[in-house]
Amino acid sequence: MFRDSSRSRLILAVLLAAAVALLVLDARPGGDPVTSAARAGGELVFAPTAAGVGWATAPAAALYDGLRQSPETSDRITELEQANADLKDQLQAARIDEQRSKQLDELLDLAGLGGYEIVAAQAVTHVTARGYADTVTIDAGTESGVRPDMTVVNGSGLVGRVTEAGPHTATVMLATDVKSAVGARLEATRKIGVVNGGTVPGGPEAELTLELFDLEAQVDPGDRVVTLGSHEGAPFVPGVPIGTVEEVQVAPGALSRLADIAPAVDFSSLDVVGVVVRGPEEDPRDSVLPPRPDKGDRS
Amino acid sequence: MRTAAALIAVPAAVLVQTTIINRLPFDWGAGPDLVIAVVVAVALTTSPAAAAGCGFAAGLAMDVLPPAEHVLGRYALVLCLAAYVLALLRRNTGSAGSLDGRSSVWAVTGTVAATALGVGLGYAVVGLLMGDPRVSLAAVAVNTLVGTALTALVAPLVAFPLLRVRESLADDEYAAVRGPMPSGRW
Repeated sequence: MFRDSSRSRLILAVLLAAAVALLVLDARPGGDPVTSAARAGGELVFAPTAAGVGWATAPAAALYDGLRQSPETSDRITELEQANADLKDQLQAARIDEQRSKQLDELLDLAGLGGYEIVAAQAVTHVTARGYADTVTIDAGTESGVRPDMTVVNGSGLVGRVTEAGPHTATVMLATDVKSAVGARLEATRKIGVVNGGTVPGGPEAELTLELFDLEAQVDPGDRVVTLGSHEGAPFVPGVPIGTVEEVQVAPGALSRLADIAPAVDFSSLDVVGVVVRGPEEDPRDSVLPPRPDKGDRS
Repeated sequence: MRTAAALIAVPAAVLVQTTIINRLPFDWGAGPDLVIAVVVAVALTTSPAAAAGCGFAAGLAMDVLPPAEHVLGRYALVLCLAAYVLALLRRNTGSAGSLDGRSSVWAVTGTVAATALGVGLGYAVVGLLMGDPRVSLAAVAVNTLVGTALTALVAPLVAFPLLRVRESLADDEYAAVRGPMPSGRW
């Protein structure tokens, strides 16, 4: 059943050995000239193709976005019809360009609040072929000043960090990736902890899990979490909103306190993002967080 | 001509996969894998050595193109092995000649699904051996099953036409004549 010529087996052995050699080379910490040259070559093909695909599929993407948001939009239209006819017109005329410019406005707003210096980019891949990693590719690279270990944000908050940067594209590991760990701080009580992507062992089923080092710390659902900031702003600058505490797990005998975090960013509709190329001069504290919604204010 | 068909189809599949399929926001993680479908179609109509080379090249291209989220060579290793085994099985058990060399849609879809399952598990095993923290039982189950199902769905659209094209372009006369290889020292 598995009969084959020895020449054919030799070819297979050589190819497998080459693959294993690449695995070993690339798995070593630090950059390797062979693998980074290969990745740069791959990007040379990828960047123009991705740009072309983006240009060609813009109408389809607009249609898809419209369909995706139609339930919410129709709800809002009914709401606005009662309130204001002008707003209704504006909403119906909302096109993808306007949405993008709105996202960019929000992004610039957040960057302005925190004093971050950002480079705007667009996400050009959202999934990976095998689906294990939560990573996106963005269309900005070292030529725009993007380097590995830079914070990536969008108008709502923390997206992730750059893991690999080529001349025109960069790979961003999202905060929801299992490998991701972000130093975090609770908004009001200033207690520090780590926000891990996915579910930590023994924790609740969640997109993001907060692990607080202080067992006595008071955490309530609704508390907001921002990044703590790393040494010299790499990989994370301080003050970026991460999410809101949804549920606190009280586990007897645990060494740390676990909480389920609802991300501030909608990771499924990631589009315009910003790479923080320079952090703020001083920690923006909680100034980047949006004002708390007032419950009695909705009329 | 058959080689030309493969040389066009494999890079096209790799580019479509990385720039179009990976761009779609699949909420459940994995999308369909066109590269597996194309490599299966090529492997079913060629010698094991050529199939291994094709699988290796396609896998390496997928490793090199962004996003750079896994180590280089991981996909190349798995696809190379999968294509080789598939071509070997086809040559030694299937009707690889020109007698009734036309495969049915169902057979092709089944082969693609089986290969996608094998590649998914192989990829997870390589990750496990290299200590990738993303490989957990739940993640492997979801990604492999969803990926396999979606890849099987695109197989009739991708693998089957390519297979038919390569079967009809049987100008490579000794591929049709050469039966099971005489086993040497192995």
